[in-house]
Amino acid sequence: MKLYEYVLRRLALLVFVLLALAALIFYITRGLLPPAYALTQYVTPRMTSAERLILAQNLGVATSSCPSYAAFATSAKGCIVPLWGQFFGWLKTVLSGNWGYTVLPGYVAGTETTWNVFWVRFPYTAELAIGGTILTIAIAIPLGIVSATHANKAPDHASRVVAISGYSIPQFWFGYILQVVFVLYVALNGRGLLPVGGPLPTSCAICFANPGSVVTRTGFPVIDAILSGNFPYFWDSIVGLILPTVTLALTTIGALTRILRSSMVDALHQDYILLARSKGLRDRVVVYRHALRNALLPAITIAGLILAFLLGGVVVIEYVFDFPGVGQAAVLASTSFDLNFLELYVLVTAVIIVLTNLVVDVLYAKLDPRIRY
Amino acid sequence: MTSQASVQRGSDHEVVLEVKGLKVSFHTYLGEVKALDGVDFEVKRGEVLGLVGESGCGKTVTALAIGGLLSDNAKVEAGQILLEGKDLLKETKDELRQTRLREVSFVFQDPMTFINPVLSVGSQIAEILESDKGFQAELVEYRIAELARAESKAGLTPAEVEEKRSLEGLKDKKLSKRSLRRLAKLRTLDYMRTVRLPDPERVYNMYPFELSGGMRQRVMIAMALVRRPKVLLADEITTALDVTVQAQVLRLLADLRGKIDASVVLITHDLGVVSEICDRVVVMYAGNVVEIADVEELFANPMHPYTQGLLASIPRPDVFTKEIKSISGSVPNLISPPSGCRFHPRCPKRFERCPLVKPPLIEVEPGHRVACLLYGG
Amino acid sequence: MESKAGAEEAPKSGAMADLRYSLHLMSRNKLVLAGSVLAAGTILVALLAHVIVPASATVDDRAIRICWNNSLINWHIPSINVCPRPLPLGTDAYGRNLLLMIILAVPLDLSIALEIVASAVVIGLVFGSIAGYAGGIVDEAILRVTDIFFAVPGILLAIVLMTVLGRTIPNLTLAVLITWWPLYVRLIRSQVLSEKERPYVEALRAMGAGRFRILFRHVVPNSIYPLIVQSTLDIGSVILTVSTLVFLGFAPSNIATGQTPELGSLTSQGSQYIFSAPWLIIFPGLTILIISLGFNLLGDGLRDVFDPRLRR
Repeated sequence: MKLYEYVLRRLALLVFVLLALAALIFYITRGLLPPAYALTQYVTPRMTSAERLILAQNLGVATSSCPSYAAFATSAKGCIVPLWGQFFGWLKTVLSGNWGYTVLPGYVAGTETTWNVFWVRFPYTAELAIGGTILTIAIAIPLGIVSATHANKAPDHASRVVAISGYSIPQFWFGYILQVVFVLYVALNGRGLLPVGGPLPTSCAICFANPGSVVTRTGFPVIDAILSGNFPYFWDSIVGLILPTVTLALTTIGALTRILRSSMVDALHQDYILLARSKGLRDRVVVYRHALRNALLPAITIAGLILAFLLGGVVVIEYVFDFPGVGQAAVLASTSFDLNFLELYVLVTAVIIVLTNLVVDVLYAKLDPRIRY
Repeated sequence: MTSQASVQRGSDHEVVLEVKGLKVSFHTYLGEVKALDGVDFEVKRGEVLGLVGESGCGKTVTALAIGGLLSDNAKVEAGQILLEGKDLLKETKDELRQTRLREVSFVFQDPMTFINPVLSVGSQIAEILESDKGFQAELVEYRIAELARAESKAGLTPAEVEEKRSLEGLKDKKLSKRSLRRLAKLRTLDYMRTVRLPDPERVYNMYPFELSGGMRQRVMIAMALVRRPKVLLADEITTALDVTVQAQVLRLLADLRGKIDASVVLITHDLGVVSEICDRVVVMYAGNVVEIADVEELFANPMHPYTQGLLASIPRPDVFTKEIKSISGSVPNLISPPSGCRFHPRCPKRFERCPLVKPPLIEVEPGHRVACLLYGG
Repeated sequence: MESKAGAEEAPKSGAMADLRYSLHLMSRNKLVLAGSVLAAGTILVALLAHVIVPASATVDDRAIRICWNNSLINWHIPSINVCPRPLPLGTDAYGRNLLLMIILAVPLDLSIALEIVASAVVIGLVFGSIAGYAGGIVDEAILRVTDIFFAVPGILLAIVLMTVLGRTIPNLTLAVLITWWPLYVRLIRSQVLSEKERPYVEALRAMGAGRFRILFRHVVPNSIYPLIVQSTLDIGSVILTVSTLVFLGFAPSNIATGQTPELGSLTSQGSQYIFSAPWLIIFPGLTILIISLGFNLLGDGLRDVFDPRLRR
């Protein structure tokens, strides 16, 4: 089979998974409990008529027959469209990019679409996740290799304790501890070391007091700063990422280190390593060319899982570090019952994860000549 | 006594590699495995030496010890491994690596698991030549000689003339990485031809799983030969192969004898293979050398009861026997090996001294040594 | 019949020898020992919590809220409240002994985690062995369903579920379980697949042993080690996930406000007093870390101990 055929087959599977997931999410948010329940729970007399209208639309309620709170309250059943009809209607609507208006706090009802709110917030989350990925790879791979080449010796034990602690630490707690430490550092030294709270802190020793502003083009603070040529802003947005990214990556660093160590130990015990050593090759060549190539294969298959973990981890990280990304908004969306936002978040994340898995599969086939799709 | 004998033989054939009183043990969960208990033998220049014995008798451990490739839980307790007089056991890790690179090379049993599955086979041969600056001069010289040969035969293309001139002008200057790669590849292809791999240019870029067992074994032999070692340790190289492919590989090895100047230590449990291409034979049993002799001598006049049993157990088409003889009992547990002669529990000719005295290796006839109390000691 | 019984015994006696060897390896591994001690300590605390802590400990005492009186640690906070009597970890926002509240929280977190892991194991055993053993379209269908769950971050799905179902403890358990079970299906399936190819299964089949008998009497018991390892590790991870969700407020209001102590909500409460009373956040979080670390160290050590590669 050709590569493109393989990719096409995987894409078909991918579409299936995404559709199934959409159905599942739709069932959870609209079918698990009747919208009437949601309406009685969340539509209150205090709401403005505009807010009520938006919420009703978002919940798949035919608004024409239920124009007012009084109508919801008296005959909520009459406002409900059957579930299957709702699903296909919903799918058609959301695929055209119409995700309704947001009811998140801080937005005047009916002014901001869910779609816009999501994509304005998304770049912050993406920067965190990308930073977390880079950090995970940059730390876990060397740590895993050192562990494996010194298996059952001091460096291995040390890296094991570090790795296991990494995925045993409650991130929400560690985030606060980091902030306390760095704020205490300010208190003790009169100036800060790293910024705490928010992506663009206003004062700290290695930040610029007034980074100025940038023209928003991509929405990614780091990239926009580069495009605007605003170095102070660029620097600050990088520095602001440090503490959240470190906290975010702890778990995945630990997990990847352990997986890489185990596959590397396995590789180092293979016969081909004995042959490579018998050829008089340097240890460096034996480890990196002969063992690592093989050991990375099982490690890259979990790339999708790692990304999923990072994209989920941002929820708590953004909450703790007051980061205006989609993760923080997910917590708010839950309290304000903005189901559209949650649906959009879940589906966008799923698309990213399944596409990553596809790339990983193709990469795997490229790296392992034995795989013939 | 043994050392005297070896000096005597040294006069007719130069000794390349000498293993003296080698003792190796492994630390395991169950206890200390005394794998080698004083192994003595020597390898002469240009010969093919057979190292035979049942599996688990220490043949492979001996070979790995020579290359300094024993696993971490192994310990060399005593002995010397002299390669042209220098003791390999005293070498540092890096010196040993250099020794493996230039002087002692290995061919292993299973070509499927020993060749890296994710790298092309050609690159796994060429990387040896690229890995060390020491090969550079050799590669350049070799290429110049090749071009000169071609010149005298059919003349050179202008590009080749230019290449020859630039290589000759190079002298001791460093080769660029690209030309080093190219020369290493040319040399590799040459050796792939030497081991009779078909269509070397295509095979160079193929992966192990795309080759047959025989081809993979040839690739491994090419890896061993490309650095022109002094000693080639071939560990059960035919065991994993089909009978017909076995024969091909053995024929290749026999043909190569004239072309390479390496001594070959052929480790095998197959006496048929030994009789076919070996000059001399070392018989091992449970971590000891029990008998050393020229191959004809050994087959005609086996002295050690173990060797006698081993030879009797080969089915022979020319002799009609009702049943194939075998040595009773099994290989002893090396955590608590039998005292005295390790073979005595299985030996049909044992007597009261056997469990008490460890028999020394003594020369009974010129060139024929045996470690058995029946012959003295 | 005799020989059949003998053949069925064979893998078992091997397992016994394996177990002895495992215990030998475990006793030599300091990290496994540390993990076992921490995990056993957690379980002990959880079992005895309601015995140790008197019911009166949960009663509010606003007079002594957020105070510290332990000379071992000096927080260097000028405006600190000093408790009238010595208390190892001070008091919380309700004026209750923080140490006792942490102890009371342990059984809640641990029991939720155990419920989730045990249910996930059962689901995994059923669907994983069916998928692995039946193969074909059944296997494909089960795999595709797990694919759906692997495409979403678990915590996100749990948030969506709890948004809709309401913030109660059973819903929290259900939400985390729904994101966790596919892992076990995959694990059991791959174990069953690799066991299925072993010669002894073929031998049993040749002797006419029934499919389900082979599956549940031989294949599943022989896949048990990875399952033990994974579930031990997961107790640590599930406690983290559960406390994270509670920290974010996904719990009934009595827990979310810290009235009924839970480790995540205690941490969340403490985060409001991060500079004036750092002990309120430090110790509950530290407890989560220690519990999770215990199970993770134990699981990781067990993985090494049960690793067939070490037995070559």
